Amino acid sequence: MDPEQVDEFVMGYLKKKGFNNAAKQLQEALHHNNGGTFNSTDYHNDPELTKLIRSFSQSENDPTRYRDGYSKLRSWAYNSLDLYKHELLRVMYPVFIHCYMDLVGKGHTQEARAFFNSFRKDHEMIHLRDLQKLEGVLVPSHLEEMEFARSLRQSKVNIKICQYSYDLLLQYLHRTESTLMLGIINEHINFQVYSGQPNSSSDDIDAVTIVGSFQETADHINQKEIQWGLLEDSLEDRLEKTGSLLSDSEKGQGESKDGDVDDSKKRSNEIGKQGSSLKKLKKDKAGNATAKVARQETSIVSPAPRVKPELALPVMSTDVEESILEDLRNRVQLSSVAMPSVSFYTFVNTHNGLNCASISHDGSLVAGGFSDSSIKVWDMAKIGQAGSGALQGESDTNDQNVGPNGRRNYTLLLGHSGPVYSATFSPPGDFVLSSSADTTIRLWSTQLNANLVCYKGHNYPVWDVQFSPFGHYFASCSHDRTARIWSMDRVQPLRIMAGHLSDVDCVQWHPNCNYIATGSSDKTVRLWDVQTGECVRIFIGHRSMVLSLAMSPDGRYMASGDEDGTIMMWDLSTARCITPLMGHNSCVWSLSYSGEGSLLASGSADCTVKLWDVTSSTKLTKAEEKNGNTNRLRSLRTFPTKSTPVHALRFSRRNLLFAAGALSKPAS
Amino acid sequence: MSIVPKETIEVIAQSIGITNLSPEAALMLAPDVEYRVREIMQEAIKCMRHSKRTTLTASDVDGALNLRNLEPIYGFGSGGPIRFRKAIGHRDLFYTDDREVDFKDVIEAPLPKAPLDTEIVCHWLAIEGVQPAIPENAPLEVIRAPAENQIYQQKDGPLIDIRLPVKHVLSKELQLYFQKIAELTLSKSNPSLFKEALVSLASDSGLHPLVPYFTNFIADEVSRGLNDFLLLFNLMHVVRSLLQNPHIHIEPYLHQLMPSVVTCLVSRKLGNRFADNHWDLRDFTANLVALICKRFGNTYITLQSRLTKTLVNALLDPKKALTQHYGAIQGLAALGHNVVRLLVLSNLEPYLSLLEPELDAEKQKNQMKSYEAWRVYGAILRAAGLCIHDRLKIFPTLPSPSPSFPSKGKGKVISTEPNKRKLGVDSSENRSPHKRLIATDGSDGGPSPMQVDRPTGDANPPQNSVRPSSSEQASDGNAPESRNAKEKDDSKGRAITRKAILDQIWKDDLDSGRLLVKLHQLYGDRILPFIPSTEMSLFL
Repeated sequence: MDPEQVDEFVMGYLKKKGFNNAAKQLQEALHHNNGGTFNSTDYHNDPELTKLIRSFSQSENDPTRYRDGYSKLRSWAYNSLDLYKHELLRVMYPVFIHCYMDLVGKGHTQEARAFFNSFRKDHEMIHLRDLQKLEGVLVPSHLEEMEFARSLRQSKVNIKICQYSYDLLLQYLHRTESTLMLGIINEHINFQVYSGQPNSSSDDIDAVTIVGSFQETADHINQKEIQWGLLEDSLEDRLEKTGSLLSDSEKGQGESKDGDVDDSKKRSNEIGKQGSSLKKLKKDKAGNATAKVARQETSIVSPAPRVKPELALPVMSTDVEESILEDLRNRVQLSSVAMPSVSFYTFVNTHNGLNCASISHDGSLVAGGFSDSSIKVWDMAKIGQAGSGALQGESDTNDQNVGPNGRRNYTLLLGHSGPVYSATFSPPGDFVLSSSADTTIRLWSTQLNANLVCYKGHNYPVWDVQFSPFGHYFASCSHDRTARIWSMDRVQPLRIMAGHLSDVDCVQWHPNCNYIATGSSDKTVRLWDVQTGECVRIFIGHRSMVLSLAMSPDGRYMASGDEDGTIMMWDLSTARCITPLMGHNSCVWSLSYSGEGSLLASGSADCTVKLWDVTSSTKLTKAEEKNGNTNRLRSLRTFPTKSTPVHALRFSRRNLLFAAGALSKPAS
Repeated sequence: MSIVPKETIEVIAQSIGITNLSPEAALMLAPDVEYRVREIMQEAIKCMRHSKRTTLTASDVDGALNLRNLEPIYGFGSGGPIRFRKAIGHRDLFYTDDREVDFKDVIEAPLPKAPLDTEIVCHWLAIEGVQPAIPENAPLEVIRAPAENQIYQQKDGPLIDIRLPVKHVLSKELQLYFQKIAELTLSKSNPSLFKEALVSLASDSGLHPLVPYFTNFIADEVSRGLNDFLLLFNLMHVVRSLLQNPHIHIEPYLHQLMPSVVTCLVSRKLGNRFADNHWDLRDFTANLVALICKRFGNTYITLQSRLTKTLVNALLDPKKALTQHYGAIQGLAALGHNVVRLLVLSNLEPYLSLLEPELDAEKQKNQMKSYEAWRVYGAILRAAGLCIHDRLKIFPTLPSPSPSFPSKGKGKVISTEPNKRKLGVDSSENRSPHKRLIATDGSDGGPSPMQVDRPTGDANPPQNSVRPSSSEQASDGNAPESRNAKEKDDSKGRAITRKAILDQIWKDDLDSGRLLVKLHQLYGDRILPFIPSTEMSLFL
């Protein structure tokens, strides 16, 4: 055999396998050799070695090698030491999918399918959705076409692995001369080797997701600073101020109440007292208004930092402000022992057509978006139940809904030309925004019962639209993989947030209006700076598409719910998941934090509303953060509904929980 | 390779008018078709999720096609799920059920009812964290039941192992009482206090709420403590006390109680020590069973029949241990002579032949076994004896020839007493102690029923005319012993005209006569002590 040829083989092989360093060295060596000082390269003359090299280049196209190599590696990993097993098993998934894609890429469709089916069971637990996507890939062209596959091919997977496991793996690969597996591992896995003992298998949540190329970018992005504090001079602040100015009697009362278990008594008590102190408050408010102009800085001890708004926020009219303040004052303190009341709006006779439901901030208006392009708005106060008056807490007020004279008792809003996927009320409840499959967003007035504006900008169905906490601005997200920020007075979007790798399914505003969060089918949640339009956080951890988002009122935490029923609590500043909440067994359609942020309510397709204790868990995790011990958030209550999936949830400012859903007939 | 076979591609191609599709092309197309279909389904699932549904509909697929700028597939948007049917003869071929509809029918059909308009109903899902039990909420008992149970168990700490679907809550006092009784029963250390407790159980009113707990307790403990002889005895005492208590309505719990009681009667092994006198326990339980049957036989028609069936099965199964046979015999014996006659005596012969080898001291080397065998033998002898005694003792009530008779009879019984003892000793010299015990048992039972029965016999009113001929005819050709009886009867009948009773028990008498012979054959002289003295005098 011609030595030149062998050299070529070796070079080609090394390059192909990505051993660039080795290739370079070899080249240098060859040059050296050509220079004549190097003694004879033994492999040129050794027929055995030549054969081996040749066999490598020949068997390159043999599809069974993948199967053999993989199954050998697999059985080795499964039989490895228990302590290191989970780390080694983590390597298996990337190897598996790349083996499969290699086979597909080389055109061995049949072998690829057989390979995939024989080993998919191993990975179904964690990666079911990815596997379902990949399963359809059968032809090399699909690999090019499919974005997911492409991103997998182009990027490396980061795997944290301890030194010993790494050595074990390399030893095995060298000993068995499974160059194919070695090649795949070298090509697609980026080991982050650390010294010491292997991590416990419980915290491998980052290791589990394969996130294409942006693992590093995500890490990089997550370094950015964000200001999650609330706005300066927010209504809550003002309430606190007025509260501190108020006589201490109320505070004392509030403290004594905390221990009180009988909540209803406490509430009526509170209302009574509030009534007496109302006049005082109004006086204070007048003083407060002047204080606002003077920007008098009183030292308030507040746990959360305050930030300035980056947007020009609309000015709130004083009577709206007043009503909000009063609501805040009348807020029921919720905790793990003081549960909220839940008022449930059941849509009946929807004929499977209800796509979304929305409840106004005071619970008096309910809007439903239907697949027949219509939007229907019910005024619950008119129907009989005073939505905001529900605070009185009588349970016998559920016999309304009879129209006064047989006419329909809702406002029908027609204008869309496709299924309505989302609707949202402006904070005072005077506007409704709706988004539809016809790619438009429409603004409706609840006073005029008419369409005011049609916002066109998205190119594909708009999945979700949300008003900002202060109104005027709103955010939308769409199948076109963007989220957009709009203001009511412009028909063009103000910002376009692009970066998600798949549909953006839900959007939510941060309480300080400076950020929006978006959840996507690419299983990530992103946080965007509204002013710059940049992505400032990527939250990785969900295993299926993210369907719902909620921000804690203090702006520190975010909750996201996905298709599998998992809810994750995130710390915005660190982009770490505080704790995954398992409990639902179907899509989490809706999430809502209580007014003071102590409880999280979740509504799901499994026909339950669940309440989670937020305070205890965050405290716990803060204490145990160093231990790396993630505690589960406590599930406080589960309220099953009568075969009604829960589409929407909203805590009113007074901490009454409103829920809405369409009665669905049990599957026959 | 692809889940879409190339035949499907060919069929589709033909259906859209492409006839010259080469097989290679079809083969190449198949994987791509699969990929595209998967792609569309993925989009359709997205549409479904955003419509907040968990079932995929045709409109979702249309939506997905729209997203890809494809024309939707018309004709499937009816809303309801499409029903697929299996094609006959094919395992995995399905088709949609598409009915042919005549236009005329459609046009002539009355307009369907307008669908109801969407409405909103408001209700309280929860009030301060508690779900009110209103029809709008999910039925609470289905979902909340386990939770309630948990609360209940937490509340009644000591009763935690009592798993009963009881809704009522016991008062503290009753809980304490139950606890104390249970402790006493289990502790076995304070017999005097336990006796007091039994008295209390048998007499106190207001214990009724505890009955389910007691029955459960007994059932649990019996099943758990089969090795603990004293515990079983205590439990049976508790059962008896409960049965005795006039304030307790125990009937609904009998079905729970009976298995435990019967276990104590016919279990293979009761107690694990040699010294445990499980015979006593069986005797005691046999009486208990009889008591139950007597008291509740009327209300539970099947009670006795089921019980006897169990016992007879135990008795006739040669595989069962001798102890079990003993229990069964005792149980049957306690149920009365009728039962014994019908069920034991009819099976006596085969059973005794079965028992024979065990009894033989030479053949049966195992001391324990032979002891047991003799025990069983004694039991069966006693049962038979008592039975025959009861049968025969009817006779004296009939004649009462002279007022002096009873005193005479009594005197005779007393006089035969030592004789009987002797007989017992004679017949079983080497294993005398228990034999003697049985013999005394028999003699104890002897005189008393006689005295009791006498008045009833006297009270019988004179009835009907004499029909000696028929009776003579019937008795003709019977065993010599029966002639004896007939003669006796005839004479008595002649003396006093109480033919009705005679008629009634005529046949019985014959049977008992025959029985007597048989028993005599089987037992020899050992049966004799059971024969009431008056009859004895007649026979001898």
